[in-house]
Amino acid sequence: MVGTPVLFVAIPLLAAFLIPLLGMIWKELVRIVPGLVLIYLMVLSVNLLNHVLVNGPIVEVIAGWAPPFGINLVFSAFSGFLVTLMVFLGLIVWIYSYRFKRNVGFEPAKKYFLLLMMLVTGAVGIVLTGDIFNMFVFIEITGISGYALTAFYTGRDSAEASFKYLMLGSIASTLLLLAIMILYSQLGTLNMAEIATKIHTVKPAYKVISLILFITALGIEAEIFPLNGWAPDAYAEAPGPVGAAFAGIVVKASVYAIIRYIYTIFDISGAYDFLIIIGMVTLIIAEFAAIRQEKLKRMLAYSSIGQMGLVLVAFGFGTKEGVFAALFLMLNHAIIKSLLFLSGSYLVYNSKDKTIAEVNGMHKFLPITSFLFALGAFAIVGLPPFAGFWSKLSVLTAAADSHMLFVMSLILMVSVVELVYYLRVVNRIYFFKKEESVEAKKPTFNALIAMLVLGALILVIGFYPDVITGVIHKASADLMDKTKYINDVLSIKQ
Amino acid sequence: MKKVIVFLLLATLGVYLAITFFNIGFGDPHFVNGVKDFYLKETVENLHVSNTVTSIVVNFRGFDTLGEVTVLFLAVTALGSILYKKRHEVGARSVLFSSSSVVTAGSKLLFPAVILLGVYVFIHGHLSPGGGFQGGVIIATGFLLMLLAYENYSVSHTWLSIVESLAGITFAGVGLLGFMNGGTFLQNFLPTGVLNNLFSGGVIPIIYIAVGFKVAAELTGVIYTVLHEKGVK
Repeated sequence: MVGTPVLFVAIPLLAAFLIPLLGMIWKELVRIVPGLVLIYLMVLSVNLLNHVLVNGPIVEVIAGWAPPFGINLVFSAFSGFLVTLMVFLGLIVWIYSYRFKRNVGFEPAKKYFLLLMMLVTGAVGIVLTGDIFNMFVFIEITGISGYALTAFYTGRDSAEASFKYLMLGSIASTLLLLAIMILYSQLGTLNMAEIATKIHTVKPAYKVISLILFITALGIEAEIFPLNGWAPDAYAEAPGPVGAAFAGIVVKASVYAIIRYIYTIFDISGAYDFLIIIGMVTLIIAEFAAIRQEKLKRMLAYSSIGQMGLVLVAFGFGTKEGVFAALFLMLNHAIIKSLLFLSGSYLVYNSKDKTIAEVNGMHKFLPITSFLFALGAFAIVGLPPFAGFWSKLSVLTAAADSHMLFVMSLILMVSVVELVYYLRVVNRIYFFKKEESVEAKKPTFNALIAMLVLGALILVIGFYPDVITGVIHKASADLMDKTKYINDVLSIKQ
Repeated sequence: MKKVIVFLLLATLGVYLAITFFNIGFGDPHFVNGVKDFYLKETVENLHVSNTVTSIVVNFRGFDTLGEVTVLFLAVTALGSILYKKRHEVGARSVLFSSSSVVTAGSKLLFPAVILLGVYVFIHGHLSPGGGFQGGVIIATGFLLMLLAYENYSVSHTWLSIVESLAGITFAGVGLLGFMNGGTFLQNFLPTGVLNNLFSGGVIPIIYIAVGFKVAAELTGVIYTVLHEKGVK
């Protein structure tokens, strides 16, 4: 053992408080330290995940009080898988923006890297914690970092986007707190495992209203329709790497929270069907909205919302295949959508309106970036032999296994829409004549490295899906086994 | 039409929530269950802390408090990053009128007293109502008084930032020390002393003093940043 789960929170927090001091000693440290922390977390998460896959979950108590009296962290195959994914993406975004943000001043750079690190920490905390109020605190940490990063460029539009996000996020926090209050008033405990054992004693009225409040609150962060009004603006106005971090990290954490509530804590079976319906509606509306977008980042944002809808549909099947497909999709979406955001923000780097029309003929000036964007576009619509193909295939087979042929056909239909708007962009990059007014911006060395790593991963997972499916199978089995989760947590004694 | 629909939806939600909370039944038998008895018992018997709220906030659920402190820290950082470009030179404030001599003379007199009260509140957080957050806010109001009374009163941002960082490091560091000594993060590793003494409760007073300094520095920073915001006329 190289460490324990609490270090995922303790080390970044310590570093966050240290960074202002370190910045006074040597200015470059504010850029380097968050990266070092993320590298350390990456090593830690890979080591712990390997340990957990063999030896079973690690449950860690905090302040020496066993559950349900204290707060506990659970690093299982499922949460460990997501933590590793989030920390990896955080690291990629850090590598990408290390030089990207070189031309900004010291103060904004300090804040950018600090907030980026805390965004990852908050999301990791959401996934690790075994306590509903503690999860609320981490959602706050993630949210506030997100609002601030959205407003990074301090322009009028970014302030508006950030304000919108802030308002909806605050409503989400309020509803979440109400839901936690109702559950606590009925059960007198905040521990997830303890709640799961006692939830059948709660009157249905309270159970349903708290689940509704939980899903509404978390749905705002997870971009579920019709609660996703903040998302397109925030993605479009935030710096490119922040968009990647939102799609890869924040949204994944919120989806995790919804799934944890429905699969582990509550025992309402109707919630699964609700997930399918809400997921389908989100998917269809988002994909049709995406095709009408003129700005590249807004299009990617809607596509991201749609993919999240698909993830919820897959979780809604409630079968082992469904969970496997959903987790696989989450992994692929995190990698591919990040690549699209990272490469896309170079394609429209100097253009005035950041529209799709302005990427015309970019492949001559940015060959690698264009190629990687095209790779990402093909992968996300699910063309073989790229990574996205396998996850989409597993969603479809899971739908077929659950005898949901209608859902299956709808997904296929929507995929055509998706194909259209992605190919439209790729077509413009490769076969249109370049606009004179738009000057191409060469990506920095670090940005190229970050994008190439993601591109390579897409190919590796595409050709050898077996490297990752074993882990996902274990993770999905871990999520499905509610009794084991409860036993693992409640068997801890002081 | 749209407004009517929104109103109806909100009204339905409101009524539903109101009924739920009306029938929640505070004081009913099922409220006896749960973790509260354990907290009441352990606080006095093992932690030797007379303020149960403090022991829950700082010890049982200290991890949440560390998170909340971080939330405040991030909010201040975020405010700084949004208002960064608008920062003005010292002295040019958005409060236009100058204070009367009664206010200036009075605040000089009150300022030490307010600071003293704040310090008292957070040092006695484990003995009496109050604590780090409350004490910190009281101290920040002291600085607010001075900033409003004197046009040229300025607070060094560097020092605020240093105090804030050191206090945060103390909190996280105490947590990590517990991790190294006792085995888990934020666990108490100091002798708990005698109930109702100033030096009791193990690490709780240390954490609360750190929180007090941190909240005071952060809120003073917020007030200072907002007061010197440009463009509000």
